[in-house]
Amino acid sequence: MAGGLPRRIIKETQRLMAEPVPGIKAVPDEGNARYFHVIVEGPAESPFEGGTFKLELFLPEEYPMSAPKVRFMTKIYHPNIDKLGRICLDILKDKWSPALQIRTVLLSIQALLSAPNPDDPLENDVAEQWKVNEAQAIATAKQWTKMYATRG
Amino acid sequence: MEERKIKKMDDNEMEECDMGSDEDYYNDPDPDVTHTDNDKDPESFEYKILEVVEVEMLLNTSVETMCKTIDVSPSLAKLLLHNYSWNTQKIEAEYRQNPEQLLINGKIKPSKIAKGVSRKNECIVCAQEVDTLLGVECRHRFCETCWCQHFEVQILNGVSTAIGCMGTDCTVLMPEDFVLSILRCRNQSKLSQQYQELTFRSYVSNHPELLYCPGPNCTAVIQAKAKEAKRVDCKKCKTTFCFKCGIDYHAPADCDTIKKWLIKCADDSETANYISAHTKDCPKCQVCIEKDGGCNHMKCKKCGHDFCWMCLGDWSAHGSEYYECSKYKENPNIANESEHAQAREALKKYLFYFERWANHDNSLRKEKDKMKEIAKQIEEKVTTKDGTWIDWQYLNKAGELLRRCRYTLQYTYPYAYYMLKGARKELFEYQQAQLESAVEALSYDIERAVLDSRGDIENKMDVVEKRRLTLVREFLVT
Ligand SMILES: [Zn+2]
Ligand SMILES: [Zn+2]
Ligand SMILES: [Zn+2]
Ligand SMILES: [Zn+2]
Ligand SMILES: [Zn+2]
Ligand SMILES: [Zn+2]
Repeated sequence: MAGGLPRRIIKETQRLMAEPVPGIKAVPDEGNARYFHVIVEGPAESPFEGGTFKLELFLPEEYPMSAPKVRFMTKIYHPNIDKLGRICLDILKDKWSPALQIRTVLLSIQALLSAPNPDDPLENDVAEQWKVNEAQAIATAKQWTKMYATRG
Repeated sequence: MEERKIKKMDDNEMEECDMGSDEDYYNDPDPDVTHTDNDKDPESFEYKILEVVEVEMLLNTSVETMCKTIDVSPSLAKLLLHNYSWNTQKIEAEYRQNPEQLLINGKIKPSKIAKGVSRKNECIVCAQEVDTLLGVECRHRFCETCWCQHFEVQILNGVSTAIGCMGTDCTVLMPEDFVLSILRCRNQSKLSQQYQELTFRSYVSNHPELLYCPGPNCTAVIQAKAKEAKRVDCKKCKTTFCFKCGIDYHAPADCDTIKKWLIKCADDSETANYISAHTKDCPKCQVCIEKDGGCNHMKCKKCGHDFCWMCLGDWSAHGSEYYECSKYKENPNIANESEHAQAREALKKYLFYFERWANHDNSLRKEKDKMKEIAKQIEEKVTTKDGTWIDWQYLNKAGELLRRCRYTLQYTYPYAYYMLKGARKELFEYQQAQLESAVEALSYDIERAVLDSRGDIENKMDVVEKRRLTLVREFLVT
């Protein structure tokens, strides 16, 4: 990579390793310091409790002027996450600010798992189900967590 | 409906001769004559076509007024004006009430002041220690390099007046002079140029009196008192468009109707594709006929049968008061039919209107080609002394009028599609049929015109424009 790694990324990485966010593990890839392997634990008292979700996080060339790119690798039944794992989260789009950090992004994703927001959906079917029959949607989300996010 | 026959003009009347002898003719008091009717033309509209320099002057006048009345820098005045859609009165009123709130609403001051953000001289974006940190009213401070990179990313994404502060949750927008001074310090002259072009576009698009001409590569800006759905003819690029919505002019349909219609057409383009045939068989002798002109009154070259390209019916039924080709006949019992039958009926109805809409669009293009051909023929005729150039001018005028009338006719179809059943729709369909029949009659004659046709064609021109204006006057909401 041209020009080496910006100081900002080095500092953020160091801090993520030294004082990790509870319930989240983010490790830079050995070959590419802008690529992070992320594991998020399903928050307690959410339909995702007991699951471990794999994500990928990539810092584009313009970071921090542009938001990191984040995607769920583990299948998840959530109104703000689509089939491809893309996340509908304002701070990853128009509400991004260069003063935000990888840490804040991960915390926001964890919060999104605790409090799904079907009124600002990405995956239309899931959001619809969440609004029409929340109990059923939560049951499906639990089932998917068991099926895809628990290591057998 | 009574049509007044205009007096037949002698050919030499149009030539440069004693105008005095024509006085009676030109003083004809008949109120139906269209050119004396301009003040009642529902499409007429006052507007100016401005060059970039003139627009800059116009914007600067507002900026100067603002600087004087509320004592801010020109750069902040611009930001304020932009965020208030250049409504100086509203700004002045809010300023008198609560100047502090005005600056917050105008995105100059933050809604909440940032707490002591930066410790020492560290820029939190790049995590570097620097000599100076820079910022605006909100007190978020960052280094010059970071600001510049932030601006670069935004500008390359086409953002200009909406570039925000880098602080988290900060509502403040970056004033022009701050952005430009940073770009200047970093020698970003190309970016700075790009930024200024973008802000200018953005100011124009937020201005209630201004609209960019939508013509390809056209830089003209149109100015008018208010955003009304009126026709603008750009003299620079010859595009005709609506001043309110900026798309192709669409009377008698209004902006919402035409938007709905165009979305529907785009969504259903698959379904509609199969009907765009270029050839059809003569309904009498079955010979394959290609449509080469715009006129929908077809005459089979083999058997001489006159028929309609749209409905393949006999043309003789089209030339009369009973012209019904433009009218969709709904199944009167449809409410009692099965869901399936209703869906089929809905599709049939849409295709009926779409086919006519698309066909007139096609005719407009073919007639444009035809007029070019005719212009060439006229030149040949004039050089072989078959009439003078002035003798043939009437045909160019006829072509221009035909274009305008067919254009309106095309837009009557989306209008009719969304109309509810009833007396209004019946009147509309009657006037639409009248207009269509006159348009096709004029088109037929133009394609076959000779020097002697002038009287006839001018008659038909008179009829068709009157019918167009009658319809527009009755149904265009202004
Ligand atoms: Zn910095
Ligand atoms: Zn700020
Ligand atoms: Zn133009
Ligand atoms: Zn419009
Ligand atoms: Zn035939
Ligand atoms: Zn017909």
